[in-house]
Amino acid sequence: MKRANLGGSKSWLCLLTLAMIPASGSTGTGSQSLTATINPVGSLTVPASANLTTVGTTFHPFTGSLTVSYKARTTPVGGGSITVNVSSDFSPSGGPSAAGGALAYTCSAATLGTACSGSQTASTTVQTPVLTLPASACTGGGGACSSQNPNSVNLSFTLTDSPAYATGTYSARLTFTISAT
Amino acid sequence: MIRYATIFACCLLALTGLAQAQNSTGTTTLSVAVGPEAALTVTTGTTTLATASTTFGAPFTGNTSLLYFIRTTKTGGTGTLTLKITSDFAGTGGPSVTTPPSTGDALTYACTVSTPGTACTGSQTASTSAATPLGTWGAAANSIKAGNAASVAWSLTDDPVYATGTYTATATFTIAST
Repeated sequence: MKRANLGGSKSWLCLLTLAMIPASGSTGTGSQSLTATINPVGSLTVPASANLTTVGTTFHPFTGSLTVSYKARTTPVGGGSITVNVSSDFSPSGGPSAAGGALAYTCSAATLGTACSGSQTASTTVQTPVLTLPASACTGGGGACSSQNPNSVNLSFTLTDSPAYATGTYSARLTFTISAT
Repeated sequence: MIRYATIFACCLLALTGLAQAQNSTGTTTLSVAVGPEAALTVTTGTTTLATASTTFGAPFTGNTSLLYFIRTTKTGGTGTLTLKITSDFAGTGGPSVTTPPSTGDALTYACTVSTPGTACTGSQTASTSAATPLGTWGAAANSIKAGNAASVAWSLTDDPVYATGTYTATATFTIAST
């Protein structure tokens, strides 16, 4: 006599479910985790060319300057640097030679990080320093970051003017590298 | 299980980001135009003319040394090294380049110029009115970085009419290259 009337129960559940469906429209909520991985980044731009000139005719050094523009973000435990390398020495032959130590530079007016100190001799074989970036460095935005965007550092070049150079026009290529960790 | 795997993957991703170094490069071309130039340094500050003779048997002599620095154009370049007496012997009764007291009195010199220059030949008479030659060079001439040597061997007549005393003149050297 306690046997349930299964057929009757099924009918009741069905009716209950139907009753919970709104008569019209629907609303709902959901959540999604968004994860952004902020990597250390560095980028730079340099002028396509720069001229070295001399004043007078008494074998004073040739001089010139350029500005390196850069953007950087380093991690709280990282840092970074900008370096330069003479990737192609002065050509044609008969003129100055960076490999021979004729090209030097100084760094100044860095708006983020620390410019190199003293006179640096440019090299065809190794990277030489231009700038050092600290940990937690970032370009632009102010606050904990620099207010400038992009940042910049000036380089002043000095090229020995030796009488032994043959007259003519000589060109060298410099490659700047920025790294950030 | 899936939950732990997800957390592990997120941590791994974050650590990968921290360890990753980012590099970027840029290039620029440095150009320099090297033209003809010339310079000199007189290494003998004061040249004393003296004679060993006490009988007018020998002129007053002395040497002035200098270093010259040159670079001339590869094609058609030239250069000269000259001197001029820009201040004659001062004081009355002594030697004079402009108006020698006796016929035949003169301040003369002989030249020595190392390669790549060519020295003047023979005896040159110094002048207060015109530059006189010391050396020349041609196209594509280059001195060494430390400079090349040149010198002037002076000779001043020892005329008995000169009053005793010390007399000073100034010689100015001029160098030019094209």
